[in-house]
Amino acid sequence: MTDEFVFKGRAWVVGDDIDTDMIYHGSYLPLTDPKEMAKHALEYVPGMEDFTERVQPGDILVAGKNFGSGSSREHAVITLQYNDVAAVVAESFSRIFYRNAVNLGFPILEVPGITRELDTSDELEVDANTGRICNLTKGTEVQGTPLSGLEKEIMTAGGLFNFLKKDMQTVE
Amino acid sequence: MSGKTIIEKILSEHSGEDAWAGDRVWADLDLAVVRDFGGPNVVLEYEKQMDDEPVWDPQKIAMTFDYQAPAKVVQVANNQRICREFAAKHGIPHIFDVNSGVGQHVLLEQGMILPGSVVIGTDSHMNLLGAVGSFSSGMGTTDVAAAWATGRLWFRVPESIKITFKGSYDYPASAKDLTLFLLSKIDTTKTIYKALEFYGEPIDALSLAGRLTLASMVTEMEGKIGFIIPDEDILAWIGERAGRKVDAVLPDRDASYWEEREFDIDGLEPLIACPDRPDNVRPVREVAGTHVDQVFVGSCTNGRFEDLRVAAEVLKRMGGKIAPHVRMIVTPATTEVAMEAVEAGLYETFIKAGAMVTNQGCSLCTIGHHGVLAEGDVLVGTGNRNFRGKLGKGSEVYLASPAVAAATAVKGEIALPE
Repeated sequence: MTDEFVFKGRAWVVGDDIDTDMIYHGSYLPLTDPKEMAKHALEYVPGMEDFTERVQPGDILVAGKNFGSGSSREHAVITLQYNDVAAVVAESFSRIFYRNAVNLGFPILEVPGITRELDTSDELEVDANTGRICNLTKGTEVQGTPLSGLEKEIMTAGGLFNFLKKDMQTVE
Repeated sequence: MSGKTIIEKILSEHSGEDAWAGDRVWADLDLAVVRDFGGPNVVLEYEKQMDDEPVWDPQKIAMTFDYQAPAKVVQVANNQRICREFAAKHGIPHIFDVNSGVGQHVLLEQGMILPGSVVIGTDSHMNLLGAVGSFSSGMGTTDVAAAWATGRLWFRVPESIKITFKGSYDYPASAKDLTLFLLSKIDTTKTIYKALEFYGEPIDALSLAGRLTLASMVTEMEGKIGFIIPDEDILAWIGERAGRKVDAVLPDRDASYWEEREFDIDGLEPLIACPDRPDNVRPVREVAGTHVDQVFVGSCTNGRFEDLRVAAEVLKRMGGKIAPHVRMIVTPATTEVAMEAVEAGLYETFIKAGAMVTNQGCSLCTIGHHGVLAEGDVLVGTGNRNFRGKLGKGSEVYLASPAVAAATAVKGEIALPE
């Protein structure tokens, strides 16, 4: 893993149990164009209704426990990716969101207690490789659990298809 | 060395490896399913990655249109067409169109889901097929597209929790109440990605419908899968449909569990999940009297024939009419369920009571089809989710059994069946 897995950006802090309907509401499921999907990111998270107008490329979403529970919809990852959110850091992830993020090569990091450590708009440096997060605004550091093993290989390949294609080439 | 749990056995068998909890394995799939939700995304992703390459095995791909059946908006009609055209082009025979019903239930009735199989699909409640001992899992677009290309996917072998129920309960308590009881007692932060195995006399006593109810809400427990070992009757039911003898996958006697829990459900009473979380469970009597605008009986959790029959019986017993201000929607899970309900006269009971019976499918569990709620509306439904705004911004959803839902429709407020 290289520098491309180190991100610097502003934090957006949301709470526990942010489910997939809040990240990407079921009423938008018929959409298939990622750019259209991107317009509805976090629309149903209380206080985040205008997120897509205010988010800046490279911003980092920080969430509480069980982020992304509910639906299998990959839209929930895509809508964040297409808003140029650099990564999601959460106290814990719902497994289905976690898996979809890995398969799409979208950086995620588990950091227990993270929401107590920082505020929205804090400037962060996230190293998805080592799991270290520096809060540049507050001058603090926390250590999370970086991906390892197969998940890390898939993520760093840029997602499942890139991983499989690399794999197929190696076999051939 | 200790023995293996059900999930360790299934994933060992399907990966050709000695799979233990925590391992990553690549498993061969028996079936990879899409719905009209997720399906078009899978098709587009597949074509982007693979062009015109043939799919791994057309016989092991299925399409089930239950999300918006029949299509209400042009975008979904287009999406369904994308799937139909892909199926035609690749010679995929198992396409269950908008007249079929809830995908998992249709596949089960078709004999396409066997105990011990590995099945994936674009539905977070795919895992309800654990009710017959299948390892079925909801997956995103990329996973299913990759499965269509290769027939395999990666899995982290889940740790297993053995859950044993004891005690007994009587009507009006039901499998739904047992499920809500478990949701309220189990700490869902500790069941994330766990494989649950259910045992005990109350489980043995469950019909297929009751087993489907329990297994379907393992998703809301944050579990990966909930296994119930099929009994002889269920094995025979599947075997007849599959046209072959089928066997259950049993765990080893000395299997090693991450945790073993026991729950006493003696005297279980009707329960209800209050807004906005499925585990926000209270006894129905505590919230009885809450004004309700709409009632829904159906879904992959409670859309079987016996669910509809219980609801119809309660309606009849309580006077046969729903409250004038209540809108009641009844949706059979599948065509087979609908036919049974017609033959048993349930449609007549519902229609005379003032309820609407819709065609088979996911109905209002998926917002944007029909039966959406106004701001301030309250719904009591038999589905599995009540997240904030799920059926419309500013509305509230309670989750209960078909019996409680029907009693509520009659009274116009949350009520116990008489």
